[in-house]
Amino acid sequence: MQNDTTLGQLEARGLTRHYSMRASAGFFGPKRIVRAVDDVSLTLKAGRVTAVVGESGSGKSVLARMLARIIVPTSGELLLDGTAVPVHAKRTLAYTSQVQLVLQDPFSSINPVHRVRHSLERPLLIHGAKKNEVEALAAAALERVSLDPPARYLDRYPHELSGGQLQRVSIARALCVKPKILLADEPISMLDVSVRLGVLNLLRGLCDNDKLAILYITHDIASARYIADETIVMYAGQVVERSNGTGLIDEPTHPYTQLLIASVPDPADPTRAMPEKVDRLTQVSIAQKGCRFSPRCPHVMDVCRNNEPPMFDVGDGHVSKCWLHATSGEIVDVGLPETQRGGTITKK
Amino acid sequence: MTTDALDLQEPTLGEVQTDGRLVGSETADLVFEIRNFSVDYGWGVGAVRAVNAVNLDVHRAQILGIAGESGSGKSTLVYAATRLLRSPGVISGGGVTLNLGKDDQGIMESVDLLKASEKELRKIRWSQVSIVLQSALNALNPVLRISKGFEEILKTHRPDMSKGERRARAIELLSMVGLDEDRLQRFPHELSGGQRQRIMIAMALALDPQLVIMDEPTTALDVVTQREIINELSDLRARFGFAMIFITHDLSLLVELADEIAVMYAGSIVERAPAGALYSAPRHPYTLGLLNSSPPLHGERRELEGIPGSPPDLADMVTGCSFHARCPYKMEKCVTDVPALVPTDDTGRVVACWLHSGDVGVVVPEPLSRLVAITPAKKFHTVSSTVKKVEEAS
Repeated sequence: MQNDTTLGQLEARGLTRHYSMRASAGFFGPKRIVRAVDDVSLTLKAGRVTAVVGESGSGKSVLARMLARIIVPTSGELLLDGTAVPVHAKRTLAYTSQVQLVLQDPFSSINPVHRVRHSLERPLLIHGAKKNEVEALAAAALERVSLDPPARYLDRYPHELSGGQLQRVSIARALCVKPKILLADEPISMLDVSVRLGVLNLLRGLCDNDKLAILYITHDIASARYIADETIVMYAGQVVERSNGTGLIDEPTHPYTQLLIASVPDPADPTRAMPEKVDRLTQVSIAQKGCRFSPRCPHVMDVCRNNEPPMFDVGDGHVSKCWLHATSGEIVDVGLPETQRGGTITKK
Repeated sequence: MTTDALDLQEPTLGEVQTDGRLVGSETADLVFEIRNFSVDYGWGVGAVRAVNAVNLDVHRAQILGIAGESGSGKSTLVYAATRLLRSPGVISGGGVTLNLGKDDQGIMESVDLLKASEKELRKIRWSQVSIVLQSALNALNPVLRISKGFEEILKTHRPDMSKGERRARAIELLSMVGLDEDRLQRFPHELSGGQRQRIMIAMALALDPQLVIMDEPTTALDVVTQREIINELSDLRARFGFAMIFITHDLSLLVELADEIAVMYAGSIVERAPAGALYSAPRHPYTLGLLNSSPPLHGERRELEGIPGSPPDLADMVTGCSFHARCPYKMEKCVTDVPALVPTDDTGRVVACWLHSGDVGVVVPEPLSRLVAITPAKKFHTVSSTVKKVEEAS
């Protein structure tokens, strides 16, 4: 796809974030590198929802914060509308007016001592809106997230609103500077089940009608299936499987994705195979060499313990980082940015 | 009760007898009774009714699920019923009985929890009723090692145990929830969320209680850990036969785990039914809405609506049925009159909805009149394997 500069596109190439920490031996113990995010490339395109699925600690939130430039990557580059962004420099207003982050917990991400008006008008003023315009702009943002009539909500305090309404305020706050890219870090996980769909439908609508590029981070794979145009599964900081649409949810090829899906409560299918029980006493969560999932993997082979698998193409824009597909799939060069491969990952 | 009604329920797990778990059918296995129970926040004219005339029974080895949104009163209900609710929460009516089992003469011993003194409560808590809270990080003392927590429980309730016995029991409990004994020397912050929650479960089971209350124990965990924990709970229930109340807002989780489910809305139970019947044939529009709120993992992608609107403000309650403002099947009567909880079919289900009150001329919409499907056996792979392991070991 050619870049359309009016629509906005954010591309990440080989984003990596390492943290060094002391091992349990204490302050004078040896240092250890934790690879929180390791070589993740993705492209957020206008009018598309990219879902990143993974369990806690898989690095998905660090990825979102690197894309928002709150966390400085150890290496890798960011391209906004095809132009390289200096990742080590201070975040600029020009960048934040294009890329906005919505956080998980609306109860703690909105200042409780100020009215909703304050939370919406402050970013507008920072981004240079005129004082006599801010109220109208804030009201317009509330209307976009279906908090209607806005006048009813502007002068409320956060504690007067329900979780679903607050998360809408949080999305409105991100939208009021008119960004082209919205990064949503687990936007529904703190909400009640009955209002989750409302927020998901809202995000989908922003994507379809306003052509926003949306990154949707979640651990709820069913909600990713509901909303995503592209799905990425992360494990221990790495992308282990990705597909266009929801191919990887309907036909998971990586053992980790299979485990994730089998773990979801699904009363519609009570006879399905339950995940294999791992002997937890010997379980080391992340392997230091080879495939990082190998200690938990029910299909582990010798090759997995020693060699890190490359991305194998399993067909139809679907790639899987697992040695099981070494015979059937072709190796996909993950180092190559997506745009040089014609936008989507295609079978060679 | 007819035999047909029994056939409609899911088969029981292992050898555990969960018969007679339906309302009022048998009293022998009844562990926990809540009768016409109401709880207010505040006093006088400013009082807000958080739990409204709730009736619940929990039988031995039964898992009762309570589902509802935040603010529906599900946590308030169990905290008040176990006398853990703090001011300004006020119990405004009803009764709660805990049956401790038969004594030597075969007479049922029971405790009226609402009349029990602090001293009596102290004896019952943890030894007969234990609770697992949502946030294990807050529930565990951050400056004490895990071993100290077990030590305190056992020291208080089993004063004749020696230090070595206490340690052995702690190790046994940890292995029950799949943790290694070296966890005993750790501090809570050194453990992952799933491990902390497992430790809370192990502590809750330390004294073989009659009833374990789980208040959203898996909400803060990711799906893989959640799956491991609910499989473990099913195992432990099958092995030890304790009764469990499991509170969550995730109805699909409950359908898999629980035997019977009570759905709460705005402080009242709106539907209570065996899990399979509730899932295959919901009768209350709110239950239907909750079931339709989780996007499916299979089938075509289509837009779902969820439940429009938001839960009512308890301080400003509407007249009539509390759900009428969000209900797609609202009738005139719903706005003015409060529906009572009445039996609808022979599965032991009760529902509070005017659609099912048997009024002449009311046509029940298709989604709420489905036939109860006979559900296949619940499949917890771990049950048989663990039982086998236990047998081999002994």
